[in-house]
Amino acid sequence: MNPEKNKRIEEILSSLDGAERAQAPSFFYTRLKARMEAGVPQPRPFILRPVYIIASLLVILMLNMLVLLGSSGSADETITEQEVEQSIAAEYSINTNLTYEMNQ
Amino acid sequence: MNETELIQGLRKGEEPAFRFLVDTYQDLVFNTALGIVQNAEDAEDVAQEVFIQVFRSIDRFKGESKLSTWLYRITTTRSLDVLRSRKSKKRSGLLQRLFGEEGEPLVELPDFQHPGVALEKKENAALLLQAIRKLPENQKVAFTLHKLENLSYEEVSQVMQTSVSAVESLMHRAKQNLRKILEKGVG
Repeated sequence: MNPEKNKRIEEILSSLDGAERAQAPSFFYTRLKARMEAGVPQPRPFILRPVYIIASLLVILMLNMLVLLGSSGSADETITEQEVEQSIAAEYSINTNLTYEMNQ
Repeated sequence: MNETELIQGLRKGEEPAFRFLVDTYQDLVFNTALGIVQNAEDAEDVAQEVFIQVFRSIDRFKGESKLSTWLYRITTTRSLDVLRSRKSKKRSGLLQRLFGEEGEPLVELPDFQHPGVALEKKENAALLLQAIRKLPENQKVAFTLHKLENLSYEEVSQVMQTSVSAVESLMHRAKQNLRKILEKGVG
């Protein structure tokens, strides 16, 4: 780096040296007391922050999906067409044997 | 009123003690906050929150460090919270823009002029303060406390609850980073 640029950077780096402390604004205490008397709103509990709500919903969704995948995987019996017919027939009191004979 | 009497008065909730606390430390708190958040309105907000927190939690102050050390610690923590909140608002503003929602304009803070800097150094100080914004949090805090509050490395280490050598390292890295940032910006 050229010496001129280096010198400039060093000047910038030391530009806060000797800076006086900034003073609090006028009537700071008055405004502070007014705020305390008005009741400072309590900070929102962290659990109600949007990011935590979204994260919780995602976790619940994932758990639901895991349960659904688990329950569909554990079903050993496959439902056959015949079983579907029989269950409908039972509901509507239809004689399925007659239907089968007619189809033959 | 010495520090012991002050703390006793604060614990009893006495207003004169609180008034004395604020009068004694308001500039320390405000200046520290201002150096980190670089905005007078936010700095005043932080300062108010600091004193409210001190008033409410004075019983938790064990007296193992000076009261001023505790105040610095609360101020830097609260100031960093403001910076994080700004960052997250900026991110959600960008998302709103991406999804076509009209939201508030993204806030970019203008160049900050510290009121305590001498006139002939103002321009350089503005450049430095802008560069400080880009530092990691720990380096930002250490550099601000050392430069704007004139705290020694020992005092900074007490505020940051770390070792003096850790502060030396933070300052070294802060200066290196600031040099890199300024090199890009300075013609």
